[in-house]
Amino acid sequence: MLVRAEHLQAGYRPGRPVVRDVEFGAEAGQTVAVLAPNGGGKTTLFRTLLGELAPMGGTFDVGGTVASVPQHDHARLDFPVSALDVALMGAYGRTPWWRRIARADRDAARDALERVDLADRAGTHFGALSGGQRRRVMIARAIVQDARVLLLDEPFAGVDRASEERILAVLDELAAEGRALLIATHDVEQSRRWDRVLCLNERQIAFGTPEETLTAPTLAATYGPELVVLREGRMGLTIQHHEH
Amino acid sequence: MTWLTEPLELEFMQRALLEVALLSAPAGLLGTWIVLRRLAFFTHAAGSATFPGLVVAGPWGVPAQVAAFGAGLLYAGGLSGLVRRARIGADAATGLLLVLALAVGTVLASDVYEAGGGVDRLLFGTLLGLDDGDLVLSAAVAAVALAGTAALGRTWLAGGFDPDAAGALGVRAARGDAALLFVVALAVLAALPAVGALLVGALLVLPAATARLIGRSVREVQLVAIALALAEGVAGLLLAYHLDLPPGPSVAVLGGGIFAVAAAVRR
Amino acid sequence: MTILQRALLEAVLLGLACGPLSVWILAYRQAYAAESLSHAMLPGLAIAAGAGAPLPLGGAGGVLVAALLVALAARDQRIGSETAIAVVVTALFGLGALLALDRQTPLADLLFGDLLGVTDADLIAAAILAVAVPLALAAAHRPLTAVAFAPLPALRPARVQAGLLILLAAAIVVAVQGLGNLLVLALLVAPGVAARPLRRLGTQLAAGALVGAGSGALGVLASDRLGTAAGASVAIVLVAVALGALLAAGGGAGVRRSPIEALGGRA
Repeated sequence: MLVRAEHLQAGYRPGRPVVRDVEFGAEAGQTVAVLAPNGGGKTTLFRTLLGELAPMGGTFDVGGTVASVPQHDHARLDFPVSALDVALMGAYGRTPWWRRIARADRDAARDALERVDLADRAGTHFGALSGGQRRRVMIARAIVQDARVLLLDEPFAGVDRASEERILAVLDELAAEGRALLIATHDVEQSRRWDRVLCLNERQIAFGTPEETLTAPTLAATYGPELVVLREGRMGLTIQHHEH
Repeated sequence: MTWLTEPLELEFMQRALLEVALLSAPAGLLGTWIVLRRLAFFTHAAGSATFPGLVVAGPWGVPAQVAAFGAGLLYAGGLSGLVRRARIGADAATGLLLVLALAVGTVLASDVYEAGGGVDRLLFGTLLGLDDGDLVLSAAVAAVALAGTAALGRTWLAGGFDPDAAGALGVRAARGDAALLFVVALAVLAALPAVGALLVGALLVLPAATARLIGRSVREVQLVAIALALAEGVAGLLLAYHLDLPPGPSVAVLGGGIFAVAAAVRR
Repeated sequence: MTILQRALLEAVLLGLACGPLSVWILAYRQAYAAESLSHAMLPGLAIAAGAGAPLPLGGAGGVLVAALLVALAARDQRIGSETAIAVVVTALFGLGALLALDRQTPLADLLFGDLLGVTDADLIAAAILAVAVPLALAAAHRPLTAVAFAPLPALRPARVQAGLLILLAAAIVVAVQGLGNLLVLALLVAPGVAARPLRRLGTQLAAGALVGAGSGALGVLASDRLGTAAGASVAIVLVAVALGALLAAGGGAGVRRSPIEALGGRA
């Protein structure tokens, strides 16, 4: 198991966990969709797995380094950095302060940009890229980190069609390389294509294969009033985006 | 031609030029971070905050650098205490302490020690009387700026570009930021004698702000900023010498003019 | 009236005008703008002083030019408002010092004010300010409150902010005679900080006026007793009252932030 959580409670203020009873696992090569309403606890869970928040109860175990691709673009678009510079930041953590960035890492950054189909934009100013391209650069940064576990927060939100397809293909490749991927998403239909689904709403609602979890009662318990039933029995969501 | 060569034969001008040359390294390297990390108000306030220290240095028989450093420490401690403990914005806290430092410095200068004309020199810099201590401090700060850029440049870049992600990248942004504030404060100290307490921005902000309009990467911005700081500093010194004025204002006016030209051209 | 009585009257009138204004300056986080507009009008003051024209006239021109230049420089996204302000202030302040030193005008009076030398015209201007600023603030109370609470586009936040800055500029131009280019900031920040711990806005505004006028009077009287510079004494009393109020109120959020983030919020 690359990621395992048992009775995990996560939150910011003592005694007030945002999400409880989290119990799931992801093997190398597995992709896990994380479904949750706004405020349901997925960002809190990710921050705990990254080590930014101490668990408030239970345990979790991560076999290897963790990288994250955050949803909100808080990066300063006016900074004089190119797409390649941002991808290279993935190597900062393993470069001691007295060393230059290794040649191998420079090559890795170029390869990563190639994989997200942005090799020709390596020298482009990061702020001049489109929203989808910026998300792909952030994924390239995570690839350069060479983490065994990747946490992706809404990687498809506000992304153009071409970027979405490219991102899907890269995520499949990364899983095939033996990494575990946790993908927070609001897209119920799309989560059918991942190996497992984890449903959260202040506590864990369900964890299992898409067939087991993507049922009307589970989704109703996960999303509550945000869930609407569309024609032909398909489900949709009304999503109010907000800052976490 | 003698306009250029005549001042070079004078020992105090050689010292002043050497001082500016040494300062151009921290001005360009750290100025770039001051501009990118939006620390211009902090830099300016840190310069003004040293004023009371400079006033008492002479009468107390303390080296000016030490007294200014003490005043700067008081200011930094007061600021971090206010921002952390009281419900007041950093801009208000900075403004409050800045004006307190200037007022205390004024009372000390005009009523306690009657510093008289010397005050202009403290506020606007001097060509005369740069001593070995000033040169040594500038050389040391230049070395610190170089070492800091080499060792912490990546931390400052990642922390400033995407602070939320810095932790996940394994970058210790908070420590790096504290170190950056410290070396910027050192650079302010080093720049004081040449351009004065009120105009440290002439060396530490103006060249880098202009370079920001020209350079496309952090490295380019830093190199252009160093070159501009050197050119503006030397030209400002020569101008000050011929006009018989303190160097701070002439460096500042030159820097502002060059920024205006660059902004107009790069539109 | 004696010189002391005139100084007292000027200080009280300026305090009455700037006290409530300072509450809004803090609410809109414009302490940096207050600092820079007052510094950046130095060339205007120097020209007026050199030509024997009334200082407020030169100050008004200086403030206008400074505001225009900041707006121009801040249009470039790479520079940002903070660096733009620093660039303009440094260059203009340097220019002002150059002009003043070149013409042998008493630079110290421009920088630190001359409360003991106020003329009838200064007193009349201060009286008008003491009536006009509170009236204007009362008239604009509702939009000011609404925009400070939530700057919805329908409320035209840019216009409200511009109006506040115009009042700020007027106050600086009049108050500079008393407190000088550098110390006028005390009047524009300290009363608001002192009133900050009070819950209700109305009480805050009244307390701001009280602190401004009271500290002004106290500062002038203290300077008379101790023989210290009048403007600087007023500034020190103002800051002391503000710090005292903050310490007495105590308490604040204990969120851990990077030191640069703690300084930020002006981005």
